[in-house]
Amino acid sequence: MEKPTEAGLRILSEVGRISNSTLELDAILNQTITIIKDNLQFDACALYLVDGEGETQRLKLKASSGLPQARASKVYLPWGKGITGWVAQNKIPQALSEAIQDPRFVYFPEIEEERYQSMLSVPMTYQGDCIGVINVHSIANRFFTPVEITLLKTISEQITGCIRNGMEYAKSKALLREQTLLYEISQAVAAEPHLENRLHLLLTGISLAEGHGIHRAILFLLDDQQTQFKGVMGVGPDSLQEAQSTWAQWVDPNEEKVSKLLLHESFKDLKNTRFHQTAQELEFPFIKKQNVLSDALVGDSPVIVENAAVNARVPKELPQKLGVDEFILVPLMAHDIPFGVILIDNLYNETGIRETDLKLFVRLANQASWVIENSRLFNKLLESNRELLTTKEQLVQSEKLAALGELSAEVAHEIKNPLVSIGGFARRLQEKMHALTLRQEPKPDLTPLTHYAKIIANEVERLEVLLKSILVFPKGARPVLKLCHLPKLIGQVLDCFEMELRSASIRTRLDFKEDPSPIALDEEQIKQVLINVIFNAIESMRQGGVLEVATFTRQPEGHSSQAVIQVQDTGGGIAQEAFQNIFNPFFTTKDSGTGLGLSISRRIMENHGGEIRVHNNVNEGVTVQLVLPLQIDRVSNKT
Amino acid sequence: MPDPDKSTRKKILVVDDETNIRLLYKEELEDDGYEVSLAQDAEEARGRIEQFKPDLVTLDIKMPGMDGLQFLKEIKETHKELPVILCSAHGSYKQDFRVWSSDAYVVKSADLRELKLMIREILGF
Repeated sequence: MEKPTEAGLRILSEVGRISNSTLELDAILNQTITIIKDNLQFDACALYLVDGEGETQRLKLKASSGLPQARASKVYLPWGKGITGWVAQNKIPQALSEAIQDPRFVYFPEIEEERYQSMLSVPMTYQGDCIGVINVHSIANRFFTPVEITLLKTISEQITGCIRNGMEYAKSKALLREQTLLYEISQAVAAEPHLENRLHLLLTGISLAEGHGIHRAILFLLDDQQTQFKGVMGVGPDSLQEAQSTWAQWVDPNEEKVSKLLLHESFKDLKNTRFHQTAQELEFPFIKKQNVLSDALVGDSPVIVENAAVNARVPKELPQKLGVDEFILVPLMAHDIPFGVILIDNLYNETGIRETDLKLFVRLANQASWVIENSRLFNKLLESNRELLTTKEQLVQSEKLAALGELSAEVAHEIKNPLVSIGGFARRLQEKMHALTLRQEPKPDLTPLTHYAKIIANEVERLEVLLKSILVFPKGARPVLKLCHLPKLIGQVLDCFEMELRSASIRTRLDFKEDPSPIALDEEQIKQVLINVIFNAIESMRQGGVLEVATFTRQPEGHSSQAVIQVQDTGGGIAQEAFQNIFNPFFTTKDSGTGLGLSISRRIMENHGGEIRVHNNVNEGVTVQLVLPLQIDRVSNKT
Repeated sequence: MPDPDKSTRKKILVVDDETNIRLLYKEELEDDGYEVSLAQDAEEARGRIEQFKPDLVTLDIKMPGMDGLQFLKEIKETHKELPVILCSAHGSYKQDFRVWSSDAYVVKSADLRELKLMIREILGF
C-alpha cells in the first residue's frame, strides 16, 4: 500500500463504473467483492446486508469470497451479537489483529470465522442508518494499516449509494412482479368457472407470490358440520429440482410470466403430485384453542408458526408429513362464515418464513374466500331455483287438479239430472210393462221390452256409480282415519286381482316382516290407491313377472317415522317421456284408462299427510312407495 | 199404503227445476198414494205452499234464482213445522251446515226407494 492515492483513485473509478453498469443488486455486491479482492489482498471477504426490521432485524450474508461455499447461501448473523453484529449496531469500524481474543467474538459455525486470525469490519451507513457490513479476514495474524482501513471505508461509503439504488430497484421490480401476478391471477380466476380450478389458480399464485422462491400451499376446508379441517388441495413442487425449474421459468424475464404456469393442463397434473396427495391425507379437528389451524380461523388473522415440532398446538402430523418446521396459516372467511385455512411453507425457499410478505398471502387468501363464498351463494341460488321450479310444477299440478275438480263437478251435476230422469223412467217402464204382462189377456209378449228397459236402468246405475267416484276426487274428501292392518288391506286388494294375476302368470311376493300396523288411514281411499298402483303393475307385466308388496317403517332424518307400502313390479319400467307425465290428470298410455288413477292416488296420499313416490328403472321395473305418517297418538285420541 | 181417499191423502210439494224429474217424482209418488203438486223454482213454490198446503216438501238445491238452501231457510222461518227433504245431484252439500235445518238429505238417484223411505218415515207411515 505504498501509493494510497493511486489505489484510492482506482477504487473510486471502479465504484463509479458499478453505478453506471447495473442496477441488479447481486451484480453490485459481487462486483464490490471483486474490487476489494483486486485492490486489497485478504484471504476472505464478506458482505452482509441488513434484513428485516425492529426485533427481527439481522444481517444476511449476501456476497462472499473465501468463505465456505456450500453453506454460504443462507447465513444470518444476529443484530448486535459478535463483532459483525456489534459493528452494525454501533456503526463504528473495527480493525482486530486477534479477533478471536476479542470479548465480542462469538463463534458462528456457518462462516468458520475461527479460521481467521485478523479481521477488519466496516459498517455501511446511509442517512445515519446501518444498511450492512463489509468484512475482510486474514488467516495469518496481521495488522491493518490506517490506509487499508480508510480504503475499505471509502469503498463502503461509495458503494452504499449503489446498493441503495439496487435495493430500491429490486423492491420496485418485486412490486411490479407482484402486481403482474395479482393481475394475471385475477384475470385467470375470472375466466375460470370451476371452483376447484379457481382455488388451484389462487394457490399457485400464493406459491409464487413472494419474491424469493417457491412456496407450497395447502388448502384446508371445513366439512359441512364445521367440525373438521380437511386437506383438499396441495400446490407446490415435489422436489427441489422441480422447485428450481419452476422458479427459473417464473423469474426469467423472457418467459410468459404466470399465465404459462396457470395453464389448464396444470389442473390435471395437480392430482398426480405427491404433495397434493399428502395434503389430502391431512385432517384436523376445528375446536377453539385446540390447534393452530383453529387459532388462525377463530382469531381471523394469520398465524406464523416456528419450531412446529415443539409447539403443542401444532398437530404432530404437520411437521412430520410436510418436513418443515415453519409455516404460515392464513384464515379463509367471508361474511363471517369460516371456510378453512391456507397453510404456506417454505421447504424449497431460501428465505425464512418470518420475512415473507404476509400481506400478499392475505390478499390472495381473501380472494380465495370470496371465490368460495361466491360459489356457495351460487349453489344456494341454484338450489332455490330448483325448489322454485318444483313448487311451480306443483302449483301447475294443483291448478290443473282444481280446474279438473270444478269441471268435473259441473259436468257431473249436469249429467246427473238427466240420468236420474232416464233411469227413473226406465224403472217405471220396466214396472209398468211387467204389470201389463201379468194383467192383459191375450198376453202381448212384453218380455223383450221389459228387458230393454232393464238394460237402460242398469246402465244408468253403472253411470251413477262412476259419477260418484269422480265426485270424490275434486272435493278431496277428507280422509276418515281409522286404525287398519295393512296386510289385511293389501290382501283384500290382491284378492280383487286374483284372476288378472293368474292369467298373466304373475307371482306375488309379500313381505310384512316389518309391518308397522295398525296405522291410521282411510281404508276406502287407500284401497283405491292400492288398486290403482297394483293395476298399473299388473298392466306392465302382461307377459308375466313378479309383483312384490312389502310394508315397513322408515325414520327419515329430521322427520317423524313413516309407514311405507312398497309395490314393486318387473314390468320393464316406464318410458322416460311418459314418466314425466304419470301424475298429470288425463295422461294415460292405456286404451281404456281415464288417466286419473295416479293423480287421484297422489291427491289421496297428500290428504293423508303422506306422499306417493315412483322410482322408475327403465328396462327393469317400477317401484312405488306409498308413504304415510305414523301419528297413531293423534288418531287414537280421536277414536 | 196411504189412504186412497183424497181427503186424507198426504200432500207433497216437489220443487225442482228439471221438468222430467218433477214428472218422475209426481208419477212415482202418486203411484204410492200421495197427492203431489209441482213447482219449478222457489217463487212458484212459495205460492204453492200457501194454496196447496203440503204436508212435506222435496227441495232441489241447485236451481236458478233462489237456490234450495236459501229457500229452505225461508220455509223454516215461515212454516216451522213443514218437513223439508233436500234432494241434490251429489253429496257434497252434506258438509254445508245450512243443510242441517232440513229434515233429510237425499242424493238424487234413478232409484227412488231411499227418498220414499224418508218420506214415509217423516210422515209417519
